[in-house]
Amino acid sequence: MAFRIRDYEAEEEAHSLPRLRTDFHPLASSSPSPKVDDDVVEHEKSEFFDPLRRPETTEMVSVEDLQEFDIASVTKASSSDGFQHAEREWNLFKRLLMQRFSVSKTVSISSHLDMSLWKALGFIYLTVMTISCCSTPGTFVFCLHHNFDSRALLVVQRSDIILKSGKGSEKSSTSMHLEDLDDLQKVSEDVKVIPKEEYISRLHELKDDIARAWHADDRVTSLKLSIKAILRLVARLLMDTTASQFYPTVFVLATDILDTLGKMVWERIKQKAEFQEDGSKLCSLPERFKVADVSSDAKETCNNWFCKIGSVKELLPRIYLELAILPCWRFLLDEPVDCLQRLVMMTRGIADPLASSYCCLYLAHCAQKLHPRDMVICANREPFSTNFGAGYLITCINDIKTMLIRMISSKEMTNGKVLENKKLLISLVEPAIEYIMKSLFENAIQRQVSNIILDLGLGGNPSVMFGKFPYISILLHHLLKQLPAEIVSSNAVAILQLIECSKDCSYDQHLNYRLLGFRLFEKSCQIDVVNAVVEKIMQVVTEYSGLNQYLMVVDAYVDIIIQNQMDSYPGKILEDILKRSGEKGAGENESACLQSILMKLLSHFNNLESILALNHFLEVLDMLDASPRGVVNTNILSIATRNYICDPTATQFLFEISQSLHDGIEFPNVKDVDFQQQARLISRFVQMVDYGPEVERHLTFLVDCRGAFGTTNEIKETLVHSSNYLAIKAMRDGKKQTGFVKSCLAFSEVTIPSVSASAKQLNLYLETAEVALLGGLVSHSYGLLDSAFSCLQSSDTPDGTKQSTDVEGLVLILQKICGLLVMVPGNPDLGSTYLPKAMISIVSSYSWITPKFKARILCAVVLLLATLSQSRLPYCGNHPEVYTNDLLFFGDPSYCRELELLSNDILQNLVNIVHQEPSQVTRGNMALETCNCILSSYRSTHEILAICTKLTATAKACSGTNDNFLKATIRSLDEHLSTSQVCM
Amino acid sequence: MSVELKLSRSNRVYRATEPIEGKIIITSHSSISHYGIRLTIYGSVNLQVRGGSAGVIEAFYGVVKPITIVNRSLEIKPSGKITSGVTEIPFSVVLRQHGEENLEKIYETFHGVNISIQYLVTAEIMRGYLHKVLTSTVEFIVENDNPLDSPVSPETVIFYITQDTQRHPLLPEVKSGGFRVTGKISTQCALSDPITGELTVESSAVPIQSIDIHLFRMESVLVGEMIVTETTLIQTTQIADGDVSRNLTLPIYVILPRLLTCPTELVGPFSIEFKLMIIISFQSDLSKLHSKSDPKIPRLWTAVESVPLELVYNIK
Repeated sequence: MAFRIRDYEAEEEAHSLPRLRTDFHPLASSSPSPKVDDDVVEHEKSEFFDPLRRPETTEMVSVEDLQEFDIASVTKASSSDGFQHAEREWNLFKRLLMQRFSVSKTVSISSHLDMSLWKALGFIYLTVMTISCCSTPGTFVFCLHHNFDSRALLVVQRSDIILKSGKGSEKSSTSMHLEDLDDLQKVSEDVKVIPKEEYISRLHELKDDIARAWHADDRVTSLKLSIKAILRLVARLLMDTTASQFYPTVFVLATDILDTLGKMVWERIKQKAEFQEDGSKLCSLPERFKVADVSSDAKETCNNWFCKIGSVKELLPRIYLELAILPCWRFLLDEPVDCLQRLVMMTRGIADPLASSYCCLYLAHCAQKLHPRDMVICANREPFSTNFGAGYLITCINDIKTMLIRMISSKEMTNGKVLENKKLLISLVEPAIEYIMKSLFENAIQRQVSNIILDLGLGGNPSVMFGKFPYISILLHHLLKQLPAEIVSSNAVAILQLIECSKDCSYDQHLNYRLLGFRLFEKSCQIDVVNAVVEKIMQVVTEYSGLNQYLMVVDAYVDIIIQNQMDSYPGKILEDILKRSGEKGAGENESACLQSILMKLLSHFNNLESILALNHFLEVLDMLDASPRGVVNTNILSIATRNYICDPTATQFLFEISQSLHDGIEFPNVKDVDFQQQARLISRFVQMVDYGPEVERHLTFLVDCRGAFGTTNEIKETLVHSSNYLAIKAMRDGKKQTGFVKSCLAFSEVTIPSVSASAKQLNLYLETAEVALLGGLVSHSYGLLDSAFSCLQSSDTPDGTKQSTDVEGLVLILQKICGLLVMVPGNPDLGSTYLPKAMISIVSSYSWITPKFKARILCAVVLLLATLSQSRLPYCGNHPEVYTNDLLFFGDPSYCRELELLSNDILQNLVNIVHQEPSQVTRGNMALETCNCILSSYRSTHEILAICTKLTATAKACSGTNDNFLKATIRSLDEHLSTSQVCM
Repeated sequence: MSVELKLSRSNRVYRATEPIEGKIIITSHSSISHYGIRLTIYGSVNLQVRGGSAGVIEAFYGVVKPITIVNRSLEIKPSGKITSGVTEIPFSVVLRQHGEENLEKIYETFHGVNISIQYLVTAEIMRGYLHKVLTSTVEFIVENDNPLDSPVSPETVIFYITQDTQRHPLLPEVKSGGFRVTGKISTQCALSDPITGELTVESSAVPIQSIDIHLFRMESVLVGEMIVTETTLIQTTQIADGDVSRNLTLPIYVILPRLLTCPTELVGPFSIEFKLMIIISFQSDLSKLHSKSDPKIPRLWTAVESVPLELVYNIK
């Protein structure tokens, strides 16, 4: 059996496809022809805003997003959608309120909290849940018998005062509340626990009462009785403001109940209006019904409710109760909005600031249940009335203002403790202000906004929207938050003055400055206005001595400064920051702001040189804590590595940054996204560094890098690639740099073993071996190949469990080695076929290898041997000093014999292996692959043809005669047959 | 066997000019014969003196003779038989027929302490001497229309309360510190309407505890030669809780309790009148000691202003 003689050049010419020049690159971006796409892009641009850049906390964003999203639809949609929207928003608000004043933070509740309050809360919840989950009598009774008992049991078991929620039988919000209550329970451990007997008896009492009334066929009465009792109880709860931090929670829980029951009353009266006593349908009320549509019976019932509530002596419960059933006014009045004004005025009678502002809050909420319909009526009646039916909200805010003025100016100011209490109180009142302010501006169109501002007592006449009178800063803050962006930008200077003269303890002035900055950035305004504002702000902040305040304000204006290219400011700001930093550096709060400022500067400058050119940038960067610093560093790196880095100082700077980033990772975790990103960035940096012709310095840099980032595999890989690249570069430069290439190879050789994954090691070894070969360093490449082989040997896992992808990869690597071995000169000392032999022995030692993969590898070796036998190799290393095998053993018969001997051995083996494959289909394919390999490697002798025919017969048996691969193989076999006859 | 009266209106409220309608429902297991089914409408003013400001002697007299307003009886069905099962007999009776003279005026239903004005409708089934008479009685409520065609314009009075308008002793700090509360309030008001008005605390040196509007009812009965008056607090409405902001207008909005009020009546043998009392309580340690005190008696820590209130018929 002899190898086929091949002429690679002729074959390439015969088989390669004809090539044509093309005028344009197939992957180049196409010119923007379709118009639709364009529009889409623009649309997206205008819509886009970065949620992370919003001025306030994330909770605000979510609320506002929801609102912005919905307003458009609400205007068109029917009123029921409006209701739903309002309801959704209210639920959100409640959740935020509970979170904000999460009671677990407070410690002093237990001592304040009255026991009866606990009892009442637990009690009420039970009742309401029971009543609310029963839409039909049947379920009601069911609830009574099951839920009550199961919960009571739970309570008994835990002997807690607070009820644990049932097994998900009620709404999630309810269970959430109960969990909150549970949290509270944990805090107030010292609260006396009610004896469980008492609790059970109370539960039973309630259960019996309701059940008795129910079975007495007096359902309405039973419902009414419990509702009335509960309503009174709830409303009374709201009067107690002694445990002030707990108040928002009480408010949410209590108003929840009020809302639920208010809804029930509404349904009841509506039912009365639509159905007769005997159950026959009277009429069906349209959504926008008039008083005239309502039957007198229903009116009577409704009136009774209002009378009953009117007889409540205490003011606050009376207001809450009327608010709870506020929508019912629609049965009695065509324009129930008028009631709101009276109710707002009534809340003035509540002197307690907390109680009164939360009462206003509930009013604003309840008013929304009227609005969707009634707003339309108002709008029709007076299209441009001054307050479009929201006059009550303006009154609300003005009343809160009066209250705040009184609170702020009260004489006990000097006492520090009192001031603290005041701050606490204001923080508790704040959500109410926020909600009311939002409701006020929610549906206002721009023309109305100026009226609202006038009505709020800002500004003297319509032409001057904002006067120079001081205003309560917390109100100003929330007003500013809600004002339309156009108004803010067109009145920026006036608002600035307003902020300047509004300075009181209710809200920090610098936060208002900050908010103004963010609001101004929302809408671009005239350059002279911007100049004036920024100048003024810079004056103001220069007087701040504290770093935090300074940063808070400046952070808001950096965007504006950058946008308007006021390039003198960034340097000044950094200098000022440095001046204020003092000894301590930046704390947690400051760091966040500082980070945000630096990030904005970075994203603006967008290249490293201008950033480094900024005075004090580096010093300020040093002020940051580890974690925000990491973020900034990452950003700098990603900006810097967009281009090649040639400047040595920049390289040094980035190296330090990378080092601190790398050191910042405490426990390198490969799966950690941050870690991966940082490793990628550093690798990228290593790749992008460019020392030009100074390759030695570059190598030194790589050595430094290895020292610094030695623990990260990915970076080490990059380092090996880089050093190989350097070696190639040095060779290309043409000078005799064998010494340098050697040191590069030495670097690689030392680095590779520390890469942990053996597959990666293998690849790196092969790459380096190739480089060595190119450099003419044959002995080096022997060494490297040896290392690669030992690597191969060690990659045999003892347990024999290998992922098929891993095996596939390994086979590919082995095939690649075969390709490489074509160029490697045979070692005369060890025999010319030493390397292929070594490879085969390694492969045979693999316990896990399947016949399929083994056949492939052996085919590759056969092809390699056939190639090596040629008098001219298809490719070579291109190094003048390296003699490849064709030159080395030209015409040496013993060499050819050796090759043939080896390949004959393999051939025998190969045929056997093919028959070992268990799977039929695979076996067929293997037979054909092997057949093709043999055909292209050997001259077509009878012996060979016999083997091939045998193989094709196997393939036929396995995959049938119709297979295309089989047909093609048989065709080529036939060709060889015919030629072989000629040969013979 | 049972008799039940069911009126056409679930709230049982009828105007004086409207017929009272309803049905007599007889449930029986066997058929019964009767000597006629009668319906009686009886309305009266019951006067009585007890406790309160009445002396021992007056109390001894006890019940003053009731004044009958209406007492009509009519036969719904002549004697006959009622079949077994449920039988419904509808009826419609006017309270007073035209031409009936020299009778009492028809007052609105009212239940007070000393005075009670009540209207009853009774159904009777006569069954001879051997059987018990089957009866059923139901009270119905009479409300009057406004006799005047023109609506009564609500009248208001302006008041101002200072330390100098008080006729009772005040706490020294309240007296010397001074206060001034002004406002206006209805003095004439229809029963269906709320009492409205407004109130402003202009100044007060001592912090305010609460401001309440008390609604009093005064029932007077002529007993022999003297008039016995019983004053009852029928409703308290708080309009300010705590030390409210100065110079803010607080609304007064008091819904009248339906069953405890009636139009003001001033007739010979009895009278029903109302008054409002605005009570300002100042914060004081003393007030805590007397938490349950008679609101009629002015205290050291309260300032009081009394306003008469005339209640009139619903304006239709």
